[in-house]
Amino acid sequence: MTDHRANRPAPGVEIELVVNGATRSAATEDRVTLADFLREGLGLTGTHLGCEHGVCGACTVLLDGEAVRSCLMLAVQARGRQVTTVEGIADGDDLSPVQLAFRESHSFQCGFCTPGFVMSTVALLAGNPNPDEREIRETLSGNICRCTGYESIIEGVLLAARRNVEAGLPG
Amino acid sequence: MEAVGARSIGARVMRVEDPRILTGRGQYVDDVTLPGMAHAVFLRSQVPHGRLLSLDVSEARALPGVVAVYTGEDIARLTTAAQAGAVSGMNLSPDMKSPSFHSLATDKVRHVGDPIALVVAESRYIAEDALELIVDDIEMLDPVVTYEDALDPGKPPIFDELEDNVYLTAEMAFGDIDAAFAEADRIVRASIQVHRHQPVPMECRGLIAAWDPSAEHLTIHASTQSPHMLRMVLPDQVGIPIESIRVIARDVGGGFGLKNSVTREDVAIVAAAKDLGRPVKWTEDRLEHLATAGHAREEMADLEAAVSADGVLLGVRMDVKVNIGAYPSDPFPGAMQAYTIIMSFQGPTRLRALAGTSAALFSNKATYVAYRGPWATADFLRERLLDIVADELGIDPLDVRRRNYVVRDEPPLAMLTGRPFAGVTTRESVEQAAGLMGWDAFGERQRAARREGRYLGIGMASYLEAAPGPRVPGQDGPDIMGYETAHLSIEAGGQVVIVTRQQPHGQGHETTLAQVAADELGVRFEDITVRYGDTDITPMAIVGTGGSRAATMANGAVLHASRELRGKVISLAADLLEANPADLELAAGVVSVKGSPVVSLTLAELARVASDEPHRLPAGAASDLAVTRTYDGGRSGWSGGTHCCIVEVDVETGIVSFERYVVVEDCGVPVNPAIVEGQVRGGVAQAMGAVLLEHAAYGEDGQYLAGSFMDYLLPTTTVVPRIEIHHVQTVPTDPDVNFRGVGEGGMIVAPAAIVGAIEDALRPFGVRALEQHLPPARIVELAGTLRPR
Ligand code: FES
Ligand code: FES
Repeated sequence: MTDHRANRPAPGVEIELVVNGATRSAATEDRVTLADFLREGLGLTGTHLGCEHGVCGACTVLLDGEAVRSCLMLAVQARGRQVTTVEGIADGDDLSPVQLAFRESHSFQCGFCTPGFVMSTVALLAGNPNPDEREIRETLSGNICRCTGYESIIEGVLLAARRNVEAGLPG
Repeated sequence: MEAVGARSIGARVMRVEDPRILTGRGQYVDDVTLPGMAHAVFLRSQVPHGRLLSLDVSEARALPGVVAVYTGEDIARLTTAAQAGAVSGMNLSPDMKSPSFHSLATDKVRHVGDPIALVVAESRYIAEDALELIVDDIEMLDPVVTYEDALDPGKPPIFDELEDNVYLTAEMAFGDIDAAFAEADRIVRASIQVHRHQPVPMECRGLIAAWDPSAEHLTIHASTQSPHMLRMVLPDQVGIPIESIRVIARDVGGGFGLKNSVTREDVAIVAAAKDLGRPVKWTEDRLEHLATAGHAREEMADLEAAVSADGVLLGVRMDVKVNIGAYPSDPFPGAMQAYTIIMSFQGPTRLRALAGTSAALFSNKATYVAYRGPWATADFLRERLLDIVADELGIDPLDVRRRNYVVRDEPPLAMLTGRPFAGVTTRESVEQAAGLMGWDAFGERQRAARREGRYLGIGMASYLEAAPGPRVPGQDGPDIMGYETAHLSIEAGGQVVIVTRQQPHGQGHETTLAQVAADELGVRFEDITVRYGDTDITPMAIVGTGGSRAATMANGAVLHASRELRGKVISLAADLLEANPADLELAAGVVSVKGSPVVSLTLAELARVASDEPHRLPAGAASDLAVTRTYDGGRSGWSGGTHCCIVEVDVETGIVSFERYVVVEDCGVPVNPAIVEGQVRGGVAQAMGAVLLEHAAYGEDGQYLAGSFMDYLLPTTTVVPRIEIHHVQTVPTDPDVNFRGVGEGGMIVAPAAIVGAIEDALRPFGVRALEQHLPPARIVELAGTLRPR
C-alpha cells in the first residue's frame, strides 16, 4: 500500500476559534474558506454549499451572532471568534424553537437549503423577535430554496415569532 | 404526533425526515468521506465547438499532491464509448441517429463546459491548482446554436459520424385531421417558443466511487434519483458487471428530473477510481452545474388549429422542434420529448384530430435533461392556443375552456391516444377557480385600474397529469418505468420495515409510506421504518423517484403488501392463540381476540416465534413475517386541476407582481396534505422562475451566458407570493388506491396561467405572448416602453 499522504503539502497556519461553544484548534491553509474548514476540517457537514459565490445562503453560519456566508470568508478570518453552525443550536435531541417551528410547519423538503434558512432565521429573530411577513420575506430573500415556494418557510418563521410573543419577548 | 388509533392517511403527520435535516445531520453525498479518498475536478471547454488538436497535462501531473490526470485518450483506453439509451434499446429507434461518445472529449469539444480532462488530487484545492497547468489547443469550428443552425446543411455536423444535426424525427397522427380542417370555420395559427431553462436542484451533482480490487467490487455514493440506474447503465462502459456494483444514496438535495440520468462525469469518475484503486470524490460546483449538468425545455412549435365558430378546437396540426444540445442524456435521451409533446398535447380537451411532426436537433449546448413534467411544453402550447383562439374569436377565455374541456362521463370517453378520461374533474376545477377568483367581475376592476394607469390581467390554465394514469384498454404490461415493488417485514423487536425502490429527494416518502402502512397494518406510525437508497436491499428500478409515480405506485405497493403482511400476522397469531382468524384484530402492533384484549400477542412476540421457534407453527405455515409485493398501478386515475392568477404589470419597469394565485387541484386522496401542498407550491414557484427570471442563455456565438446565480436568477421570497390551494372532490377510479401524483402539476400548468395573465394585462398594447419567457426587459419591449432592439 502506498502512502498517498506522502506528497500532501503541509497545512499553513494553526487557528483557534470557538465553534458551537467549544474551543477548537486546527491547522489550515490561508486560502481555505470558513465553509470548507467547518465541513472538512471539523467534520461539521451541516453547513451546506449551494453556490460558493455568496448568493444562495445555504452556507449561512453565525459569526459572533451575526449571520454570515461561510463560503465568502476565509477560515483564518474567524480566528478567535465565535462560530455557530446548524449543529450547535438544538439541545441534544430537543430541537431549538426555530427548528421546532419549521418542523411543525412542514417548512422544508429536500433539506439542502435548510441549514442556511435555520441560521438566517435564528439571526433574524435574535434581532427582531416578532417580525411581520414583509420583514421576514426581505430578510430571507438572500436564501434560495428550490423545493418549497417559500410559503411553508414563512409560516415557520411566523410560528416561531408568535411563540416569542407568547413568551413575552418584545416584538 | 397523531393519537394512537387515529387514521394516519390524510393527516398532516410531521415528517420523519425533518429532525435530521433541521439539525444538520442529513447525509448528502459531499458529506461522505471515505478512507484514502482523493478529489476530482474536470477541465472543461471554454469554447462551444472545436477540434482538440493537443492536450498537455505533464505539468499538472507533476504538481505535488496530484494523484493522476486523465485525458480523453486515457478514458478511451479505460472505458467503452456508449450510445445514449442503449440500456433500453432506445438508441436503435428507426428514426434516430445515435452518436457514440466518451466521457471526456477525445476528438472534439461540443459545448462550453464539455469535459476535456480529469484531475485527481489529494485535495480539491490542489486539483483546481492543477487545472491551471493544463494546456490545450483547440481549433474553433462554426458553432451550431439555434434551430435554424441545426437544420442548416452549411453547418458542420457536431458528430462527424453523422451527416447532419438531426438526431430524431417523428410523425404521428390521430383522428381524421383532413375532415377536421374541412369542417373548420376558422384556422388559427401560432408559432410558440419555450426557452431553455433548467432544474437547478440546490445540491449540485456529485459522486464518490470506491473500487475494491480484491473483491472486484464497486461501491458508489451518489446524488441521484435512481440508484439502480447507475448499475444498469455503467457496466457496458466501465466493464464492471451489474452484480458487482452497489449504489448508496442517502439524502439527496433535490433533483426535479436532472438526477435521473447517468452522466459522462459519472463514467469518468468510476473509471478513475477503478484505475487508481482508491476512492475518488467529485462534487460539482455551481458554475459547472449551470453550464453542464443539464438544461431543459428549449422547444418550439408551429401550430395550426381548425376551430369552430364558437371556439372549439376540432383538429390541430403541429410541427415541433426540440434543441437537445450536444450529448443526449442516458438512458432517456431528450429526443423523447419529440414524441411526448405531441402525445400529451390534447390534455383535457375534446380535440377530434391531431397530426404532428417533430424533430430533435443537436446543437453546441449542454445536454437536454428531464425537468419536472418533461412534456410540459405540450400543456403550454395547448393552453396558449386556447387563449389565442379566445382572442381571435372575441370569446371569453373561460368560455373557450368550458367549450373545449371534456365533461366527465360524456363523450368522448377517451383521448385520441386511447387513454380513458376516467374520473376527470377538469370542469369542476375550472368552475371552482373561476368562482374563487371572481372571474366575471374582474373585467370591471381591470377597466377601472387601467383608467388609473395600472395594468391588471387574469389568466387560467388546466391540465391532466398521468402518474401513471389510466391505461389504454387492451394495453397490458408495464410502461417504461415499470411496476413498483415493495418489501415489508417485521423485525425481531416488532418494528415494521418497509424497503422501497423510491429514492426520495424531498418528497417525504419516509413519512408517507409509513402513514399508508400504519393504517393498513394496524401499527403505530412511529413503529415503522422506511429504508431506501441502497441497491443491496432495494428492489430493482430503472427510475427510483420520478414522474410523480410514488403516490400511486409506491403507496399502492405498500398498501397491498401491508394487507398481505397483516394476513400473515393474523394467521400466525391465530395458530398460536388457537383462535379463529376472524376473531382477531391488529391494532397498535398488538394482535388480540376481539372483546378479550388480555388474550394477545405483540408483533415482537410473533416475530420471535417465527424466527426462533418454527416448531410451534403448524406444518405448512409460513415461517417468516415478510412480504414482497409488486403493484401494477391498478385502475389509476388522472391528477389534474386548474390554476388561475391575477397579476399586475408595471409597464415602466417590466416587473410583474401577483395579486392572487389560486390552484384548484385533484390528486385523489392526499396521504399527507402538507406534503401535497409543498409539492404544488414548489412547482408553481419554479414556473414563476421560468416565466419571469430563468434563462439558460447562450450567445449567438454559442458561449454560455448564465454561469452564476447572478446571471441565472432564481425566484426568492420576494418573488413568490402565497399560493392558495383548493381541492375538488375526487372521483375514485380504483377500489383501493386513489392516491395520485402531484409532483409535476404546478410546473406544467402554471407557466400558461401566468403568461396568459401577463398577456391579458398588456392587452391595451396589442400584445400577443408567443413565448414563455417574459422577464422585465422583454415586458417593457412588448409594452412599447422600450423599443425592441
Ligand atoms: S454557498 Fe455560500 S451563499 Fe451559496
Ligand atoms: S428544501 Fe430543497 S432546496 Fe429548500
